[in-house]
Amino acid sequence: MEPVLAEKIVHGLKAAGIDFMTYLPESRLSQILPLLREDGSVQMVAAASEQEAITIAAGAALGGKRVACYMESTGPYVSAYSLLTVGKQMGVPILLLIGFLGSFADQRNSFLYVTIGMRMIPTIEGLGLEYRVIENADNLERHIRDAQRVSDSMRAPAALIFSGEFAR
Amino acid sequence: MIRRDCLEIMAPLMTDQLVLSSQSGQRIEWFHLSQHEGNLLVGMMGCATGVGMGLALALPHRRVIVLESDGSVLLSLFNLPTLGNLNLSNLTVFVFDNEVYSGSTMSEPTATAGKTDLAAIARASGIENAVTVDDIEGFKEHGLPGVIGEGLHYVVCKVEESLWHREIPRPSVDLAEYKYRFVRYIERTEGITIPFVGLG
Repeated sequence: MEPVLAEKIVHGLKAAGIDFMTYLPESRLSQILPLLREDGSVQMVAAASEQEAITIAAGAALGGKRVACYMESTGPYVSAYSLLTVGKQMGVPILLLIGFLGSFADQRNSFLYVTIGMRMIPTIEGLGLEYRVIENADNLERHIRDAQRVSDSMRAPAALIFSGEFAR
Repeated sequence: MIRRDCLEIMAPLMTDQLVLSSQSGQRIEWFHLSQHEGNLLVGMMGCATGVGMGLALALPHRRVIVLESDGSVLLSLFNLPTLGNLNLSNLTVFVFDNEVYSGSTMSEPTATAGKTDLAAIARASGIENAVTVDDIEGFKEHGLPGVIGEGLHYVVCKVEESLWHREIPRPSVDLAEYKYRFVRYIERTEGITIPFVGLG
Protein backbone atom coordinates (compact mmCIF):
# COMPACT_ATOMS: atom_id res chain seq x y z
CA MET A 1 0.00 0.00 0.00
CA GLU A 2 1.32 3.44 -0.89
CA PRO A 3 2.10 5.51 2.23
CA VAL A 4 -0.40 8.15 1.14
CA LEU A 5 -3.19 5.55 1.33
CA ALA A 6 -2.28 4.71 4.91
CA GLU A 7 -2.37 8.40 5.74
CA LYS A 8 -5.82 8.69 4.17
CA ILE A 9 -7.17 5.75 6.16
CA VAL A 10 -5.86 7.25 9.39
CA HIS A 11 -7.31 10.64 8.49
CA GLY A 12 -10.66 9.00 7.72
CA LEU A 13 -10.74 7.13 11.02
CA LYS A 14 -10.07 10.30 12.97
CA ALA A 15 -12.66 12.23 10.96
CA ALA A 16 -15.23 9.51 11.77
CA GLY A 17 -14.54 9.99 15.47
CA ILE A 18 -12.81 6.66 16.04
CA ASP A 19 -10.87 6.89 19.30
CA PHE A 20 -10.21 3.23 20.14
CA MET A 21 -8.89 0.43 17.93
CA THR A 22 -8.04 -3.20 18.52
CA TYR A 23 -6.00 -5.08 15.99
CA LEU A 24 -4.14 -8.11 14.80
CA PRO A 25 -1.75 -6.81 12.14
CA GLU A 26 -1.47 -8.17 8.60
CA SER A 27 0.67 -7.22 5.64
CA ARG A 28 -1.62 -5.11 3.43
CA LEU A 29 -2.76 -2.24 5.68
CA SER A 30 -0.26 -2.42 8.51
CA GLN A 31 1.32 0.93 7.61
CA ILE A 32 -1.59 2.51 9.44
CA LEU A 33 -0.32 1.19 12.79
CA PRO A 34 2.81 3.36 13.24
CA LEU A 35 0.86 6.35 11.95
CA LEU A 36 -1.88 5.83 14.51
CA ARG A 37 0.61 5.26 17.32
CA GLU A 38 2.49 8.40 16.36
CA ASP A 39 -0.73 10.41 16.15
CA GLY A 40 -1.84 9.29 19.59
CA SER A 41 -5.49 10.25 19.31
CA VAL A 42 -6.69 6.66 18.87
CA GLN A 43 -6.15 4.29 21.80
CA MET A 44 -4.52 1.19 20.33
CA VAL A 45 -4.82 -2.31 21.80
CA ALA A 46 -3.01 -5.30 20.32
CA ALA A 47 -4.99 -8.53 20.63
CA ALA A 48 -3.84 -12.14 20.51
CA SER A 49 -6.80 -13.29 18.42
CA GLU A 50 -9.42 -11.60 16.28
CA GLN A 51 -12.07 -13.11 18.55
CA GLU A 52 -10.47 -11.30 21.45
CA ALA A 53 -10.08 -8.10 19.41
CA ILE A 54 -13.85 -8.00 18.87
CA THR A 55 -14.66 -8.50 22.54
CA ILE A 56 -12.20 -5.83 23.72
CA ALA A 57 -13.56 -3.37 21.17
CA ALA A 58 -17.13 -4.17 22.28
CA GLY A 59 -16.26 -3.49 25.90
CA ALA A 60 -14.73 -0.15 25.01
CA ALA A 61 -17.84 0.77 22.99
CA LEU A 62 -20.02 0.00 26.01
CA GLY A 63 -17.77 2.33 27.99
CA GLY A 64 -18.29 5.21 25.57
CA LYS A 65 -15.58 4.82 22.92
CA ARG A 66 -16.09 4.89 19.15
CA VAL A 67 -14.30 1.72 18.17
CA ALA A 68 -12.69 0.03 15.20
CA CYS A 69 -11.14 -3.39 14.83
CA TYR A 70 -8.48 -4.08 12.20
CA MET A 71 -7.79 -7.59 10.92
CA GLU A 72 -7.00 -9.58 7.78
CA SER A 73 -9.19 -11.91 5.75
CA THR A 74 -8.86 -14.73 8.25
CA GLY A 75 -10.30 -12.49 10.97
CA PRO A 76 -14.01 -12.91 10.17
CA TYR A 77 -13.61 -16.69 10.43
CA VAL A 78 -11.72 -16.54 13.73
CA SER A 79 -14.00 -13.92 15.24
CA ALA A 80 -17.34 -15.15 13.88
CA TYR A 81 -18.44 -16.31 17.33
CA SER A 82 -17.83 -12.98 19.07
CA LEU A 83 -19.12 -11.00 16.09
CA LEU A 84 -22.43 -12.82 16.52
CA THR A 85 -22.61 -12.83 20.32
CA VAL A 86 -21.31 -9.46 21.50
CA GLY A 87 -21.69 -7.82 18.10
CA LYS A 88 -25.04 -8.87 16.68
CA GLN A 89 -26.80 -10.54 19.60
CA MET A 90 -26.01 -7.91 22.22
CA GLY A 91 -25.97 -5.15 19.62
CA VAL A 92 -22.67 -3.29 19.80
CA PRO A 93 -21.26 -1.21 16.91
CA ILE A 94 -17.72 -1.96 15.76
CA LEU A 95 -16.16 -0.62 12.56
CA LEU A 96 -14.26 -3.53 11.01
CA LEU A 97 -11.25 -2.75 8.81
CA ILE A 98 -10.32 -5.87 6.87
CA GLY A 99 -7.28 -6.28 4.62
CA PHE A 100 -8.56 -8.40 1.75
CA LEU A 101 -5.80 -10.95 1.35
CA GLY A 102 -6.69 -13.53 -1.26
CA SER A 103 -9.08 -11.32 -3.23
CA PHE A 104 -9.14 -11.05 -7.05
CA ALA A 105 -7.29 -7.76 -6.78
CA ASP A 106 -4.72 -8.94 -4.23
CA GLN A 107 -1.44 -8.26 -6.04
CA ARG A 108 0.39 -10.62 -3.69
CA ASN A 109 -2.17 -13.40 -3.87
CA SER A 110 -0.96 -16.97 -3.53
CA PHE A 111 -2.14 -20.45 -2.65
CA LEU A 112 -1.69 -19.38 0.98
CA TYR A 113 -4.39 -16.73 0.85
CA VAL A 114 -6.77 -17.43 -1.99
CA THR A 115 -8.93 -20.11 -0.38
CA ILE A 116 -9.49 -17.97 2.68
CA GLY A 117 -10.02 -14.80 0.65
CA MET A 118 -12.51 -16.22 -1.81
CA ARG A 119 -14.90 -17.36 0.91
CA MET A 120 -14.53 -14.28 3.11
CA ILE A 121 -17.35 -12.19 1.59
CA PRO A 122 -19.88 -15.06 1.84
CA THR A 123 -18.80 -15.48 5.45
CA ILE A 124 -19.42 -11.80 6.19
CA GLU A 125 -22.79 -12.06 4.47
CA GLY A 126 -23.58 -15.25 6.38
CA LEU A 127 -22.99 -13.39 9.62
CA GLY A 128 -25.49 -10.77 8.47
CA LEU A 129 -22.98 -7.91 8.57
CA GLU A 130 -23.17 -4.87 6.31
CA TYR A 131 -19.99 -4.24 4.31
CA ARG A 132 -18.37 -2.33 1.45
CA VAL A 133 -15.34 -3.37 -0.58
CA ILE A 134 -13.00 -0.39 -1.06
CA GLU A 135 -10.81 -0.60 -4.17
CA ASN A 136 -9.23 2.87 -4.22
CA ALA A 137 -8.92 6.06 -2.22
CA ASP A 138 -11.74 7.92 -3.97
CA ASN A 139 -14.09 9.30 -1.33
CA LEU A 140 -12.32 7.21 1.29
CA GLU A 141 -13.06 9.57 4.16
CA ARG A 142 -16.76 9.49 3.28
CA HIS A 143 -16.75 5.68 3.03
CA ILE A 144 -15.24 5.38 6.50
CA ARG A 145 -17.68 7.89 7.96
CA ASP A 146 -20.62 6.15 6.24
CA ALA A 147 -19.60 2.73 7.56
CA GLN A 148 -19.15 4.07 11.07
CA ARG A 149 -22.60 5.66 10.92
CA VAL A 150 -24.19 2.44 9.63
CA SER A 151 -22.53 0.47 12.43
CA ASP A 152 -23.74 2.92 15.06
CA SER A 153 -27.24 3.05 13.62
CA MET A 154 -27.62 -0.72 13.38
CA ARG A 155 -25.96 -1.28 16.77
CA ALA A 156 -23.87 -3.94 15.04
CA PRO A 157 -20.45 -4.42 13.45
CA ALA A 158 -20.05 -3.17 9.86
CA ALA A 159 -17.07 -3.86 7.63
CA LEU A 160 -14.87 -1.96 5.21
CA ILE A 161 -12.92 -4.49 3.17
CA PHE A 162 -9.78 -3.06 1.55
CA SER A 163 -8.72 -4.50 -1.79
CA GLY A 164 -7.44 -3.05 -5.10
CA GLU A 165 -4.93 -0.25 -4.51
CA PHE A 166 -4.79 -1.22 -0.86
CA ALA A 167 -3.74 -4.81 -1.62
CA ARG A 168 -0.49 -4.07 -3.44
CA MET B 1 -16.68 -24.01 49.09
CA ILE B 2 -19.36 -23.52 46.48
CA ARG B 3 -19.77 -20.61 44.10
CA ARG B 4 -22.81 -19.28 45.96
CA ASP B 5 -20.69 -18.79 49.12
CA CYS B 6 -18.39 -16.40 47.25
CA LEU B 7 -21.13 -14.54 45.41
CA GLU B 8 -23.11 -13.99 48.61
CA ILE B 9 -20.04 -12.35 50.15
CA MET B 10 -19.55 -10.12 47.11
CA ALA B 11 -23.12 -8.97 46.48
CA PRO B 12 -23.50 -6.62 49.49
CA LEU B 13 -20.17 -4.97 48.62
CA MET B 14 -21.35 -3.64 45.29
CA THR B 15 -21.32 0.16 45.04
CA ASP B 16 -20.23 1.53 41.66
CA GLN B 17 -18.38 -1.53 40.37
CA LEU B 18 -19.24 -2.84 36.92
CA VAL B 19 -19.81 -6.60 37.01
CA LEU B 20 -19.78 -8.71 33.86
CA SER B 21 -20.71 -12.36 33.79
CA SER B 22 -20.07 -14.94 31.14
CA GLN B 23 -22.75 -17.39 30.15
CA SER B 24 -22.25 -19.96 32.85
CA GLY B 25 -24.03 -21.03 36.03
CA GLN B 26 -22.74 -18.03 37.95
CA ARG B 27 -24.66 -15.62 35.75
CA ILE B 28 -27.92 -17.15 36.97
CA GLU B 29 -26.75 -17.08 40.57
CA TRP B 30 -25.27 -13.56 40.40
CA PHE B 31 -28.30 -12.01 38.75
CA HIS B 32 -30.45 -13.74 41.38
CA LEU B 33 -28.37 -12.23 44.19
CA SER B 34 -27.73 -8.80 42.67
CA GLN B 35 -30.03 -6.58 40.64
CA HIS B 36 -27.44 -3.80 40.44
CA GLU B 37 -27.63 -1.71 37.26
CA GLY B 38 -23.89 -2.13 36.85
CA ASN B 39 -24.39 -5.83 36.09
CA LEU B 40 -24.02 -6.99 32.49
CA LEU B 41 -24.54 -10.43 31.04
CA VAL B 42 -22.08 -11.02 28.22
CA GLY B 43 -23.62 -13.38 25.69
CA MET B 44 -22.01 -16.75 25.44
CA MET B 45 -18.95 -18.38 26.98
CA GLY B 46 -15.49 -17.08 26.17
CA CYS B 47 -16.31 -13.39 25.71
CA ALA B 48 -16.62 -11.78 29.16
CA THR B 49 -12.94 -11.22 29.98
CA GLY B 50 -12.35 -9.53 26.63
CA VAL B 51 -15.34 -7.24 27.09
CA GLY B 52 -14.13 -6.54 30.63
CA MET B 53 -10.71 -5.50 29.34
CA GLY B 54 -12.27 -3.09 26.86
CA LEU B 55 -14.53 -1.61 29.49
CA ALA B 56 -11.65 -1.24 31.95
CA LEU B 57 -9.60 0.55 29.26
CA ALA B 58 -12.47 2.90 28.41
CA LEU B 59 -13.23 3.69 32.06
CA PRO B 60 -9.87 3.44 33.85
CA HIS B 61 -11.23 4.95 37.08
CA ARG B 62 -14.02 2.35 37.50
CA ARG B 63 -13.51 -1.09 39.01
CA VAL B 64 -14.53 -3.77 36.52
CA ILE B 65 -15.22 -7.28 37.83
CA VAL B 66 -15.58 -10.25 35.51
CA LEU B 67 -17.24 -13.46 36.67
CA GLU B 68 -15.87 -16.33 34.63
CA SER B 69 -16.00 -20.10 34.68
CA ASP B 70 -13.33 -22.66 33.90
CA GLY B 71 -15.13 -23.67 30.70
CA SER B 72 -15.39 -20.06 29.54
CA VAL B 73 -11.73 -19.28 30.27
CA LEU B 74 -10.62 -22.44 28.47
CA LEU B 75 -12.48 -21.17 25.38
CA SER B 76 -10.51 -17.93 25.44
CA LEU B 77 -7.04 -18.62 26.83
CA PHE B 78 -5.69 -16.01 24.41
CA ASN B 79 -7.04 -13.41 26.85
CA LEU B 80 -4.35 -14.19 29.40
CA PRO B 81 -1.26 -12.86 27.56
CA THR B 82 -3.20 -9.75 26.58
CA LEU B 83 -4.38 -9.27 30.14
CA GLY B 84 -0.84 -9.78 31.46
CA ASN B 85 0.62 -7.22 29.07
CA LEU B 86 -2.11 -4.62 29.59
CA ASN B 87 -1.79 -5.01 33.38
CA LEU B 88 -4.99 -3.05 33.98
CA SER B 89 -5.13 -1.62 37.49
CA ASN B 90 -8.94 -1.59 37.62
CA LEU B 91 -9.83 -5.14 36.57
CA THR B 92 -10.58 -8.25 38.57
CA VAL B 93 -11.38 -11.64 37.07
CA PHE B 94 -12.93 -14.31 39.25
CA VAL B 95 -12.87 -17.77 37.71
CA PHE B 96 -15.28 -20.12 39.43
CA ASP B 97 -13.57 -23.38 38.60
CA ASN B 98 -15.83 -26.32 39.36
CA GLU B 99 -13.91 -28.54 36.94
CA VAL B 100 -17.04 -29.41 34.95
CA TYR B 101 -19.16 -28.19 32.10
CA SER B 102 -22.23 -27.93 34.26
CA GLY B 103 -25.11 -27.31 31.90
CA SER B 104 -28.79 -27.66 32.54
CA THR B 105 -28.72 -31.41 32.01
CA MET B 106 -25.11 -32.60 32.17
CA SER B 107 -21.82 -32.45 34.07
CA GLU B 108 -18.75 -33.29 32.00
CA PRO B 109 -15.15 -32.71 33.18
CA THR B 110 -13.12 -29.77 31.92
CA ALA B 111 -9.34 -29.71 31.50
CA THR B 112 -8.99 -28.29 35.02
CA ALA B 113 -10.29 -31.58 36.35
CA GLY B 114 -7.08 -32.99 34.91
CA LYS B 115 -3.65 -31.36 34.94
CA THR B 116 -4.50 -27.79 33.91
CA ASP B 117 -3.81 -24.99 36.41
CA LEU B 118 -5.43 -21.74 35.25
CA ALA B 119 -3.71 -19.53 37.83
CA ALA B 120 -0.32 -20.92 36.76
CA ILE B 121 -1.13 -20.15 33.12
CA ALA B 122 -2.17 -16.66 34.16
CA ARG B 123 1.08 -16.08 36.09
CA ALA B 124 3.12 -17.39 33.16
CA SER B 125 1.21 -14.88 30.99
CA GLY B 126 2.43 -12.00 33.10
CA ILE B 127 -0.44 -11.61 35.56
CA GLU B 128 1.52 -11.32 38.78
CA ASN B 129 -1.45 -11.32 41.11
CA ALA B 130 -2.97 -14.62 39.97
CA VAL B 131 -3.90 -16.99 42.75
CA THR B 132 -5.97 -20.07 43.43
CA VAL B 133 -8.20 -20.18 46.49
CA ASP B 134 -10.14 -23.20 47.69
CA ASP B 135 -11.87 -22.06 50.85
CA ILE B 136 -13.83 -19.08 52.13
CA GLU B 137 -10.94 -17.70 54.16
CA GLY B 138 -8.76 -17.75 51.07
CA PHE B 139 -11.50 -16.07 49.06
CA LYS B 140 -11.82 -13.30 51.64
CA GLU B 141 -8.06 -12.80 51.79
CA HIS B 142 -7.32 -12.85 48.07
CA GLY B 143 -10.69 -12.19 46.47
CA LEU B 144 -12.08 -9.23 48.38
CA PRO B 145 -9.18 -6.90 47.47
CA GLY B 146 -10.31 -7.44 43.91
CA VAL B 147 -13.83 -6.28 44.80
CA ILE B 148 -13.06 -3.22 46.86
CA GLY B 149 -9.35 -2.58 46.21
CA GLU B 150 -7.08 -1.63 43.34
CA GLY B 151 -4.81 -3.46 40.94
CA LEU B 152 -5.17 -6.34 38.52
CA HIS B 153 -6.47 -9.47 40.22
CA TYR B 154 -6.98 -12.94 38.74
CA VAL B 155 -8.58 -15.19 41.32
CA VAL B 156 -9.27 -18.81 40.49
CA CYS B 157 -11.85 -20.07 42.98
CA LYS B 158 -11.84 -23.84 43.21
CA VAL B 159 -15.46 -24.67 43.98
CA GLU B 160 -17.46 -27.84 44.30
CA GLU B 161 -20.06 -28.32 41.65
CA SER B 162 -23.35 -26.88 42.88
CA LEU B 163 -26.72 -27.28 41.23
CA TRP B 164 -28.22 -24.14 42.81
CA HIS B 165 -28.28 -22.46 39.40
CA ARG B 166 -30.66 -25.16 38.22
CA GLU B 167 -33.04 -24.56 41.12
CA ILE B 168 -33.44 -20.77 41.09
CA PRO B 169 -35.29 -18.71 38.45
CA ARG B 170 -33.30 -17.95 35.31
CA PRO B 171 -33.06 -14.25 34.38
CA SER B 172 -35.86 -13.24 32.04
CA VAL B 173 -34.05 -10.16 30.74
CA ASP B 174 -32.45 -10.51 27.32
CA LEU B 175 -29.00 -9.33 26.28
CA ALA B 176 -30.18 -6.13 24.64
CA GLU B 177 -32.19 -5.09 27.70
CA TYR B 178 -29.20 -5.72 29.96
CA LYS B 179 -27.04 -3.69 27.58
CA TYR B 180 -29.35 -0.67 27.55
CA ARG B 181 -29.80 -0.71 31.31
CA PHE B 182 -26.02 -1.01 31.71
CA VAL B 183 -25.05 1.81 29.35
CA ARG B 184 -27.73 4.13 30.75
CA TYR B 185 -26.25 3.45 34.19
CA ILE B 186 -22.78 4.33 32.88
CA GLU B 187 -24.11 7.47 31.22
CA ARG B 188 -25.77 8.57 34.45
CA THR B 189 -22.87 7.77 36.76
CA GLU B 190 -20.12 9.02 34.42
CA GLY B 191 -21.97 12.04 33.07
CA ILE B 192 -21.27 10.99 29.49
CA THR B 193 -23.26 10.01 26.42
CA ILE B 194 -22.54 6.61 24.94
CA PRO B 195 -22.40 7.53 21.23
CA PHE B 196 -24.29 4.60 19.75
CA VAL B 197 -27.26 4.82 22.09
CA GLY B 198 -27.37 8.60 21.93
CA LEU B 199 -29.44 10.68 19.57
CA GLY B 200 -32.02 8.96 17.38
